[in-house]
Amino acid sequence: MNTRSFAGFVAPSVVAMVLLILAPLIGTAWLSIHEGYVKTELAEVRTVVPLFGGLTRVEVQKVPQAVRDADGRPVRIWNYVGLDNYGNVLRIDRLAAGLSAAAAGGVDWITQLYRDITTIEFWSALEFSLLYIAATTPCVLLLGFTVALAVDRTAKRIRGALIFASLLPFIITPVVGALSIYWLFLDGAVVNAALQALGFSKFYFLSTATSIRSLIILYGVWHVTPFAFVVLYAGLQTLPQDALEAAEVDGATAWQRLRFVTVPHLAPLFAFVTLIHVMDAYRVFEPVLVFGSNLYANSLQYMTYRILNLEDNYSKAAAASLLTVAGILVLLVPMLRRTWREHRAA
Amino acid sequence: MKRTLAFVATLAGMLAAGAAHAACSIGGSGEVSTLSNSFPSLEVVAAAMRECSAGAVKVTTKLTTDNQAETTQALKAAKSPYGLVALTNGSITPAQAAGQLRPLNDFVAKYKAKYNIEDSMLIKFGNDVMAIAFQVNAQHLFYRKDILDAAGIAPPKTYDEVLAAAAKLKGAVGIEFPLSGTYKSGWNLAEEFVNNYLGMGGQFFKDGTAEPAFNNAAAIKTLEVMKQLVGYMSPNALALDTGASAQQFMQGQVAMANMWASRAANMDDPQQSKVIGKIEFAAAPTIMAAGKPATTLWWDGWAIPKNFEGDPELAFQVMMEGLKESVVQANNGVAIWTRSVYKPGRFAIGTAESARAGAPPYPMVPQQSLAHDAIGAHIGDFLAGKTTAEKALADATETYVAAAKAKGLLK
Repeated sequence: MNTRSFAGFVAPSVVAMVLLILAPLIGTAWLSIHEGYVKTELAEVRTVVPLFGGLTRVEVQKVPQAVRDADGRPVRIWNYVGLDNYGNVLRIDRLAAGLSAAAAGGVDWITQLYRDITTIEFWSALEFSLLYIAATTPCVLLLGFTVALAVDRTAKRIRGALIFASLLPFIITPVVGALSIYWLFLDGAVVNAALQALGFSKFYFLSTATSIRSLIILYGVWHVTPFAFVVLYAGLQTLPQDALEAAEVDGATAWQRLRFVTVPHLAPLFAFVTLIHVMDAYRVFEPVLVFGSNLYANSLQYMTYRILNLEDNYSKAAAASLLTVAGILVLLVPMLRRTWREHRAA
Repeated sequence: MKRTLAFVATLAGMLAAGAAHAACSIGGSGEVSTLSNSFPSLEVVAAAMRECSAGAVKVTTKLTTDNQAETTQALKAAKSPYGLVALTNGSITPAQAAGQLRPLNDFVAKYKAKYNIEDSMLIKFGNDVMAIAFQVNAQHLFYRKDILDAAGIAPPKTYDEVLAAAAKLKGAVGIEFPLSGTYKSGWNLAEEFVNNYLGMGGQFFKDGTAEPAFNNAAAIKTLEVMKQLVGYMSPNALALDTGASAQQFMQGQVAMANMWASRAANMDDPQQSKVIGKIEFAAAPTIMAAGKPATTLWWDGWAIPKNFEGDPELAFQVMMEGLKESVVQANNGVAIWTRSVYKPGRFAIGTAESARAGAPPYPMVPQQSLAHDAIGAHIGDFLAGKTTAEKALADATETYVAAAKAKGLLK
């Protein structure tokens, strides 16, 4: 195909990608190297607020007020700050201090180093995001594969209904799904009541880091397993029957057939599911928001959300989200390199 | 009999809310959208505002508990899609400091007679009316009278008494935990700290500046009292939000709590509560021996964004239609209204007594919201036992300083 017709075919996608991916990315990078705020000066302001039943309270205090320009509009400041925002998010200075304190040795330096690092928001968010990926990915693959194998063996009559039911957790809006899991584990909620009926003592699921993190990981596995299931199930339909029969004739047991015929055949699909899931899991947000504890489990996406909405700082949030993107790229480099090599070899 | 009557009256009031007050009577044309939080009194006000949708006037209301983030963005944008935004003491100060709100003096003067706009409804910064407040709210003491009477405990007036009562009630029959509270890590936990620290006589900033001053002995003592209180709550306390802890109360699992007055009406709601009529209200306990109740008084009100692309006068009229006297009279029990036609019932006792005893209003300076957020992000670590009080407060101060510098409030 000559270059012109190739360009013609590719042009719409390229335009879409530039508009929807590249331009916003550049815009975010632009935001992250600047800072912007309204210029304020201290002025003595008298505020009157209602208290109750006609009572009011008057307070006179020095309050920052917007500086106005000639037209009465608030003056906005916009400065170039280089990598300051990134520095504020990463807190290299505190990281270095924690590392040097650990290098100095002493009893229990590992716990102390862990504590020093995880008090910095970015690193504690990174820690849990990586933990989440490491814990959910194998479970999702294993469970998805098991369910795919099971559904593959059921009678054709009920298969449709089974597939639909298995897909439901993936279809539910993440916030709603996370809320339902949260409500199951509250004080006196369904799970606790069931456990007590079975004779166990009351367990407080939201009280420790381990249990909250386990719940979030549970939600993650529950939510993504249908995705792995549907991809692997489709793959199972393409299994070469003659290879399986040949293996059976050669005396392979069911387990050996699974291990030496089925799994290698599905290997590219396992890689695909892992790739997609790792990218998604890195950006986990809803369960962290709902379980409400950046105290016990923080994530990069939640940190960005908090900086944007509660700290009200666009530029720092832009820096945080770019760092998140950089992190995903780092995580995916091995897989991308392998895919590139395979592509080259083909 | 009295309970049934009260219930029927409330129910009738809520059902008749649509019809009991005079219909909307504004002229003009245009579209007004409103954005607010979602709780019973705002639902009533929004319903009254929607009545104005007739002929050339179109009113749409949006109620969501996530309104704070959206309000911030709407006020910052070049043009705001919302003509009316609901604000509180905490959320008005950054908006006012950035000059994002339209002063309402001219409209107040023009419509004062028609809607009987009372002085106690006006939120003024200097000479400018920046918002119209319709209700007040505060956290105060809720307690189970039957449990306390059975144990022979008088309603506590100080936190020392609260702790003593909690120790006595530990393991008492009929409840699971002596205490509950809105201690969810984040905004709620920071609000508890703000209430108690101010009750301890603490100051958040050095006089007249935005420099932080909340890492000191009073703050550490506040955190220690909070830690003792948490010891008497459910182990899940740091993860339970307002709804969940109110539910603990309504399900009869808890004996005492410092809860928001706006939840008081729910305690007698037969659809949710198992303890109807058993809960009494009192001023928030004091944390210092002869101090003021450890709580802050909040108001909720409406403001008009400066960057609203429609007609601000129409928006103002819609606002006043939502807040007119007939709406308050038809829904007396739903909130603690600022209008003088409001007849305080037993749900208002806690707030009234706290106000009369001198509880302060929530600080109205723009840097307070940054401090609030920074504190909420860090003191949970101390209460969960992950770090010391000094370190948690030092971290909070550091986070606050970085955030304030980024907003130009600190050099």
